[in-house]
Formats: sequence, C-alpha cells, structure tokens
Amino acid sequence: MEKRHNLLNGQEPAEFRQKLKIVGSVLLIALSLLLVRLGYLQIIRGAEFKQKSENNSVRFRNLKPLRGLIMDRNGIVLVDNRPSFDVLYIPNKNKGNELSIEKLKNLYRNKSLEFLYDQSISKTAKPYLPIKLEKNVSMEKVALIETNALDLPGIYVDVSPIRLYLDGEMLAPVIGYTGEISKEDLENSDGKYAYGDILGKHGVEKYFDAYIRGRHGAELVEVNVYGKEIKNLGRIDPVSGYNIVLTIDADLQKAAGEALIGRAGAAVVLDARDGSVLAMFSAPSFDPNLFNSGISYEQWDKLQKNPLSPLSNKAISGQYPPGSTYKLIVAAAALEEGIITPDTKVLCNGSFTLGNRTYRCWNKHGHGYVNLHKAIVESCDVYFYTVGKMLGVDKIAQYAKRFGLGGIAGIDLPNEKGGLVPTKEWKLKRRKSPWQMGETISISIGQGFNLITPLQLANAYSAFANGGTLWRPHLVKYIESTDGKIYKEFLPEKEGELNLSPKTIEILNSALWGVVNEPGGTGHAARLLNVEVCGKTGTSQVLGLPENEKARRAKRLAAFQKDHALFVCYAPLKNPEIAVAVILENAGGGGAVAAPVARKILDAYFNGKKKLKSTQVIAHQQLPEKLKN
Amino acid sequence: MIFFKFDRRIFQHFDWMLLGLVLCVCAIGTLNIYSTGFSASEGQSHFYLKQIQWIALGLIFMMVIFFIDYRVIIQGAYVIYGVSIVFLVFVFLFGYAAHGSQRWLGIGGFAFQPSELMKLVIIITLTRYFDDHKSNEPYKLKELSVPFLIVVAPFLLILKQPDLGTALILIILFVSIVFFMGVDWKSLIIVLAGGLISMPIGWHFLKDYQRERLITFLNPENDPLGTGYHIIQSMIAVGSGEIFGKGFLKGSQTQLKFLPEQQTDFIFSVFAEEWGFIGGLVLIIMFIAIIFWGLKIALQARDLLGTIIAFGITALISWEVFINIGMVLGILPVVGIPLPFFSYGGSAMLSLLAAIGLLMNVSARRFILQR
Repeated sequence: MEKRHNLLNGQEPAEFRQKLKIVGSVLLIALSLLLVRLGYLQIIRGAEFKQKSENNSVRFRNLKPLRGLIMDRNGIVLVDNRPSFDVLYIPNKNKGNELSIEKLKNLYRNKSLEFLYDQSISKTAKPYLPIKLEKNVSMEKVALIETNALDLPGIYVDVSPIRLYLDGEMLAPVIGYTGEISKEDLENSDGKYAYGDILGKHGVEKYFDAYIRGRHGAELVEVNVYGKEIKNLGRIDPVSGYNIVLTIDADLQKAAGEALIGRAGAAVVLDARDGSVLAMFSAPSFDPNLFNSGISYEQWDKLQKNPLSPLSNKAISGQYPPGSTYKLIVAAAALEEGIITPDTKVLCNGSFTLGNRTYRCWNKHGHGYVNLHKAIVESCDVYFYTVGKMLGVDKIAQYAKRFGLGGIAGIDLPNEKGGLVPTKEWKLKRRKSPWQMGETISISIGQGFNLITPLQLANAYSAFANGGTLWRPHLVKYIESTDGKIYKEFLPEKEGELNLSPKTIEILNSALWGVVNEPGGTGHAARLLNVEVCGKTGTSQVLGLPENEKARRAKRLAAFQKDHALFVCYAPLKNPEIAVAVILENAGGGGAVAAPVARKILDAYFNGKKKLKSTQVIAHQQLPEKLKN
Repeated sequence: MIFFKFDRRIFQHFDWMLLGLVLCVCAIGTLNIYSTGFSASEGQSHFYLKQIQWIALGLIFMMVIFFIDYRVIIQGAYVIYGVSIVFLVFVFLFGYAAHGSQRWLGIGGFAFQPSELMKLVIIITLTRYFDDHKSNEPYKLKELSVPFLIVVAPFLLILKQPDLGTALILIILFVSIVFFMGVDWKSLIIVLAGGLISMPIGWHFLKDYQRERLITFLNPENDPLGTGYHIIQSMIAVGSGEIFGKGFLKGSQTQLKFLPEQQTDFIFSVFAEEWGFIGGLVLIIMFIAIIFWGLKIALQARDLLGTIIAFGITALISWEVFINIGMVLGILPVVGIPLPFFSYGGSAMLSLLAAIGLLMNVSARRFILQR
C-alpha cells in the first residue's frame, strides 16, 4: 500500500500563495478590460451599431478570377473568357425586397422580355448571400435593371467572366466544359471551393482545373439602402489562372473533325516521335458554350440520352474490339517467339476448323497459300487463326501489353479507359470459367474479349512506327503564367519499349506498307501520292461470330449491329512523323469507310499547308477518289 | 488501495458552489444555442439537443474523475499523455476534415476532437513532471527542455491539422505553468529564441493553404474579408444589443444568420446581442467567479500536485474566456478558441467538465490528505 507524503519540499507554500494573488489581480484587470470594451460597444456606440444591424449594410462580394486561356500548339486561342451579366437578388427580409421581383417581372412584361427564373426563393437562403435570378442576360435587360435600380431594392446586375469556346464543337469532348460546382463536390472539397464557384467539369478543363482556375478575390463593401456601394472596406484582387498550351494542332484538328462529320467514333493523331497528341476528335460532339449560362434541363437531357453519347470522349473512353488491327501484335509475337518465319505458309481455303466449329475468313473463297506478308496485306484470317492457336492466349497477351494495351495509356485527361487484354487467369477470375481454345482463335484476329481505345490503338502503332518506344501520350505541351512565361513544361515520357528485333520490325513495316500500297491491300483508300503511308485496316464485329456468315451478310443489319470500321496508320514510311487511328462505330468495313477518313487527315497533315500555295495538289486530291472505286 | 477507499469526507467537502456556477453557465449557453438555431421560418435545429446530451455525458465524466483520487490520475499522466498523442496521430492519419481542417476522429458515430482533450492532458502531464522535479531554485533550461518537448509534440500535430487556436492554447498553458513554477529568466529567453528559430523549419511542414491561414492569423490585414468580415459582423451584433439587449430569439444579426460560426467561436456575440450589456455583465461575472473559485482551490490545495492542477485548469479557463470574448469584441485577432461551457461542441464540453471534475477532486480532498 502506497502512502506518499506530498510535502511541499520545493518552494515555500507562501511563495505560491503570493503568486496566486498576483495571478488573481492580473486576471481581474484583464476581465474588467473585457467589460469596459463591452460597455463601449453596447452603451457608447450601441445606437450606431443598432442602425447598422438594421440596414445590413456590410456586404461581402466574391470576385471571380479569369480562367486561363487554352491554346493550340501554335498559340491559337481555342478557349477564351467573356463577360456575363447575371441578375442577383438579396432576400433581405427586413425591407420588403420580395416586391422587387414582382416589379422586375412587370418591367420585363412591358418590354415583352421573358423572366426565366421560376423557382420560389428558398427559405434557407442566407440574407447576405445573393441569389442568382438570371444568368447571362442580354444587354437590354441589363440596361432596364440599371435604369430602374432605385425601384428595385435588393436586385442588381453582377458581371462575372464565363467561358467562350471559340472552336465550338471541334474539341468539346476533349477540352470539356465548365459549370458551377455541384453540391457533392462542394461538400467534398475540404473548404477549397465556395458556393457558386466555376470549375472544369470534363476533359482538359477538369484535369487541369487547379492550374486554370486562378484564385478568388473578394471585397467587402458598405452599401446604402438601395444597395449602392458607398464605401469599400477591403478588397483582394482575383488572380487569373494559368494558360494551357495544348499539343493539338488546330488546323489538323479541324481536318479530323471535318473528316468525321456525320459519323460516330473517334480519330486520334499522335506525333510518333514523342507521343504528343496532334489531334483528337470524338464524334458526334456538342456545343460546350451551352454549359456557360447553365444548361437547360431539356438540353442536358437530350445530350445525356443521345445514344451516340456526344458528351464522352470516345478517343479515350470508347472501348472497341480491335479487329484485324490486332494482327500486327499477333504477327510480332509469332516472329519474335520463332513460331513462324516470313516464309511460313498457311493454306487458306476460306475457313478454319477447330473441333466441331468452323471459323471463317472474311474472304469466303480463301486466299490460297499465304505467307506472313500476304496475310497482313490481304488481312487473311485463317493465317492468324493458325498462328494464334500456336501462340496461345497468354503469349499474345504478353505482347499486347508491351504495345500498351490492356491498361490506360496515361494521357493527361480524366476518364481514360484501359480496354481489355484477356488471359487465362483473367477469365478464370472474372468469368469463373476456364479458357477455351476457340476463344484464342477469336482473339488472334482481334475479336472476342479484346477491347482497345482509339488512343491505345494509335499509341501502339506509333510505338511500332518509331522503332519501339512506347510513349505516354500527352495533350498539354506546357502551362504558362499570364505574363507568358512557361510555368510547367510537359516533356515526353517513355512508358516502355516494344523490344522487337530490327528484323521483325522490317518485315512487318513492309507488310503494313503493302496494306496501303500493294495491289490487293485492304487499306488502299488511305494512299497518298506524295507520302508513303503504312497502315492496317480492321473491321470489328459488334455481334458475336455468326454460325452462318452468308446469312449474316444477306440479312439487313440494324444500324447498331453493323460492324465498327477501324483504320490505323503511320507515315511516312521512313522516319514516321505521325500515327493516326480512326474508329467509326457501326459504319461497315475498315478499308472502305475508315481508311478514307484517315487519308483526309494524313492529307491535311502532309499537304495541308501546301494546299494554300500550290494548285497541283488539286490533282492529288482527286486521284484517291478513283482508287476508292 | 487507499485512493479508492470510500471516504465520506469527500462528500462533506463536495464543491457545490463550483458545480452550480458551471451548470449555470452551461444552461445559459444551451439556451443561447437554442436561439442561434431558431429561425422564424425554419423552426428549430437540433444543435441545442445535442449540446444537452454532451453536457449530460460530461457530467458523468466529471463524476468519474471526481471519485478517482487526483494523485492516482497524476500517477497515470504519462500513459494518458501517450494515449492522447496516439489519438492525435490517428487524426493525422485517419481523421476526417470539416471546414478545411482535419481535426475529428469518428468513434462509433460520434465525432471526437482529440485536440480539445489535449489541453487538459497537457496540464496533467506538466503537473506530473514538475511534481517529480521539485526545486527550490527557478527552473533552468535543462529542466525545462523535457516539458518543452512534452508540449511541442502535440503542438506540431495540432498545428498541422491546422488548428491554430488549440495549438496556441497549448503554448500559452506551457508558458503559464512554467511561470507559475518559477523560471530562470535567461533560460526563458533562450527557449523563446529557440522557438522563434525553429519556426522556419516548421514552416516547411505546412501546406500552402495552411501557411496562408497562419499569415492571415498573424496579419489579419492580409485577409480583410474573411476574418475582417467576421469581426465587423460580430461587433455590429454585440453593439446593437445596447444595454438591455434585443431579447431572447430576437437578435436580428443572429436570426438573419449574418454571424459566422454562431454556435461555436462567435457564440458570445449572439448572447450579447440578445441580452445586451446586462447579460454580458452577468455572464462575465460568472466566469470571474469560476476563475476565482479555481484560484481559491489552488490556494487551499493540500499539496503541490493539487496546486499545480488547479492553477493549470484555472489558467486554461481564464485564457479561453479572455481570448474568445476579446476576439468577439474586436480587440484580439480571430483564432478558433471556443468560450468554455458556452460554445457548441462536444469535445470541448467533455474535456472542460472533466477538468471541473478534477478541480472539485482537488477541492474535496483538501482536508483528507495528511501533510
């Protein structure tokens, strides 16, 4: 049992007593000071404060910053700001401001203007936080409100910057749009955002919002009974956001947009030398300016319910079976693994049998004896069924992953999808059933479980074109401060290496050249006269492989069941500069539909600038039309 | 164990006066919270009900602490300190944020703020240290380094949240207790200089927005809007109450929700608006009474332990009252420090009622312990 005697064997108790008395006196003085101050505020200045409290005369005003500009690689401004006039209302319960809204409605009616705000004022509205009655109103309304300001206490016009998308629909799914912060975002924002803040909702606007947004300013003003400012009590200037310079070339982007007009799908143009995105178009697009002044419910509903999903950027989030464009990877795997040589021949009589199932070649008459070169040029399916079966699904997957498939490419945009490269393990885990050999057969011509995005497709071929470097595609070249200084530069980033032997590359390179340039090649429609283009067509089936090919062909397919058309290419043959991938949804065959689209983009890149100067190009333009027939 | 032995004398010396004063302030505070939540158009919010629950829970806490001899509690001081530090680290790792600061730990549906508890824990821990290191001489640098470290660890963790008000209170408590124990002036200057020098190092640990807050705190002119707005609105509310106040539930600044942080840091301005100078006077006098009662307990305590504890707790209450009301009246910068027993907030209420339990503990046992 412990029994400690806590003798005050330190300082004398008297000493502490003395100290406590001092502490007591100091505290008494300090707390009396509070009483004096309280008396001063309430008794001496009480009447003055009472009047102020009745007027609610001090107002807090948020000053919105200008969002940074968005420019193309040559400094052409794609996204700017413009002033928007909003009609605001302060629901001060003391002063019968409710009448103001009725008066405003009458004023509008006399001029036959429409009053768009039909909600009732929420009871939870804070009296010092203005409510937005109308956004982005016409100058006529602004003039009307300003001239009648004295009759409309509580109502005033506020100017704030909003986005102006100069290129309209051209880059909308890529750049995105802005809008007022949603309730959920506000609650999760950890105090970094405030009510009514504008932020990027999609694309570049969202991904780089932290840079583009700038910083809020605010001011504290004293106003008179009419709401007119009489004294500025303090002000913090807003800070404009940083400008974003894209790797996009506006001219090429326009060409891509025009080439895809009336289609659903996407086109991606990469600089094969460093992975920068020169153009990225997703069709159909939308008008991002709709979102500026708050999109109406009908408009939003229409965009949301459109089966062609104009809001999504199909170049990075559309996932499609790669079809025959996948054959490059299967061929590379087979060559590298020593399963075939360029001279290995396979007999194609139009179909391939495994067990009791028959897999057809797209050419029902068969290609006869084909070697690798011919198999790629003419896109023989039976050749790849045979090779794929020898490789096995996991070997194919191993090479597909080297080409950057089966995982996001890592572009600087939100919502990128990773596609799918199936393996035996994947199927057991996700589908709870073992891999079937027949599925390998489908995989080897890019059907079945395989999924890729247009961006991944362009990037894979770009890596092949540049001799084996898989770059991380990027859309932003640099971020500059408002005074034009580079704030942050994005240099090309290596994502991986294909590790293919020079021999393999040479063989396949020549085959891909043949696809576009040799008689019988499936990609003829992409041919340019002055530039040597290499490419691969693809036609991916939306329906599973049908039992009876003939019946399928004969049947008129509903639009949404038609094949996706794919074409991917790079040019020129020597020292390739660009890689282009085009995927058109439910459009038909890749060679017939997608290749001509790619050709227009290639033509714009290689001949676009010349076109302005020289007339002989016109002849070039007409020739490929003949080739198509 | 003698410390747990039931002793009738602790009831004979039960400090009804202190309990009565504190409950009075709590009751007025709850009424006041009722007023902030009341709005003619919306009816009543639930804040005051929650506050009543916290007070009830706090009273249970208080009684539990009252029954355990304070010498036993001080024996466990270092363990309590360790556990509290672990709580703060938990906040840092898993805590959730509100109003831009990561202060809360969710425990079974309740949100708990370990930093509030830390205020009391620091008092206990420093008491233990100084009781272990009694000295006739003023304390020198060497002896002060350990208590300094005891305070700096939670200080940095709380600063990081960031909760400048609470962090500041810890430093103020340290300085107060050290002064009370007696300090060698030269050592004190060296400690303060050391603190000043280490500031730039701490600066590196802070995020941009945390730095901004610190700058705003040190220089309110930097943010004439946020805090400036609060102060102006607060002064208008207080001043407009005049001598007799606008009456219960009738404060227009409050009812129109002009005031920021009405239930918490700026609660006094709500009270002053509705009850006027008379109300404010009564409330401040009640606080003065609690504080002097605390000093009386420190004076009458039968051992050094009791004296330091009682002094520390009284210092905590005094500083919080002074800083909070001073801030509301516009004579001190805006820091997030609640008004004891008055502001809405469970963690602060629990810690403060626990502190009162400890104070009554010292008070009731002043005749029991032999010298």
